[in-house]
Amino acid sequence: MPNALSVGLGEMIISRNAEDVLVAFGLGSCLGIGMYDRRVMVAGMVHAVLPQRDNGGDPLSPKYVDSGLDALLKAMHEAGAQRDSLILRVAGGANMLVAPGMSSFMNIGERNAAVFAAKVVTLNLAVQAHDLGGHVGRTVRLYVANGRLTVRSMGQPERDL
Amino acid sequence: MTNETGTPLDDRLLLLLELMAGEGIHRAAEGLATMVGEEVTITRPKVVLVRLVELADTLGGAESEGVGIYLQVVGEIPGQVVMIVPYAKALELADLVLGVPEGTSQELGSLERSALAEVGNLTAAFFLNAVASMTGLHARPSPPAVMVDMLGAILDIVIATTEGIGDSLLLLDASFLRAGREVQARFCMIPDPKAIELIASRSRDSRNA
Repeated sequence: MPNALSVGLGEMIISRNAEDVLVAFGLGSCLGIGMYDRRVMVAGMVHAVLPQRDNGGDPLSPKYVDSGLDALLKAMHEAGAQRDSLILRVAGGANMLVAPGMSSFMNIGERNAAVFAAKVVTLNLAVQAHDLGGHVGRTVRLYVANGRLTVRSMGQPERDL
Repeated sequence: MTNETGTPLDDRLLLLLELMAGEGIHRAAEGLATMVGEEVTITRPKVVLVRLVELADTLGGAESEGVGIYLQVVGEIPGQVVMIVPYAKALELADLVLGVPEGTSQELGSLERSALAEVGNLTAAFFLNAVASMTGLHARPSPPAVMVDMLGAILDIVIATTEGIGDSLLLLDASFLRAGREVQARFCMIPDPKAIELIASRSRDSRNA
């Protein structure tokens, strides 16, 4: 039986245990960022809430997209992952509010996705797959055993990313 | 606990908010009754302070399907209100306010969504009227937005806006009752920091008067 580890709001989990599945449940505007190294079978996931950390904030806080990516990359390296065998995938960043007059207000999802796109360029990382934007919630699962990453939305079958 | 502005969200303030909520909900029930033309009661709500990271679990889990009715509050005490109901309960609530037998609504079509939006709208409007009469601070709700999705995704809106303010928010539990039927709903209240300050200072003024 796989062992589901919930990656909560603003958290990061790294695992080398093949039994583990890292899960970010019910992402709306948040991003579920998954990294995997097939060679050493290590997986990491960040559940980032907001786009950018404040100046002076923890430079490795997983709560933010920018510092979360830094934290994930660092923790993966420490767990033995190599940059050239890293697989990076991301899902989330939806805009849940689609009422008249509200859509432009607080589109955190879009800002999260934009900061992610800019940050991977800065870090010179390739994004293998992404499922961003739209107006639906997502649950993201990353299997440590084989690096499989799935996305599920309400009323939709789970699909591989 | 203290929010960023340093205003303590202390027991006394919580009690005050609970008092306002009680009065507001009482008025909201009257409004609902007018809408459906029959007596609807809403139980006296309980106000609890919930940690943001535990919010989704408190409401049934981040992946569970639910309905969120979201309103922005504009005026002297700006903020946001989200009414949260689990999916199955939302169908029951739609039946209840539409005055049809329980089990009639099988999915949330435009009629059911409008009915739920109206519940959120009325509840918020009457609630704010009660706050206004108790504090002299006026505010009104925006048109409601209805979201049907995973609870975690709906709550992200709340999380994203409050993360910079504090680590907890006010959750208000209330039940809608009509002709022996009962549906529980939760309201997340997210006053802007300045709104909390104002309410706190008004209550101090009235206490000192």
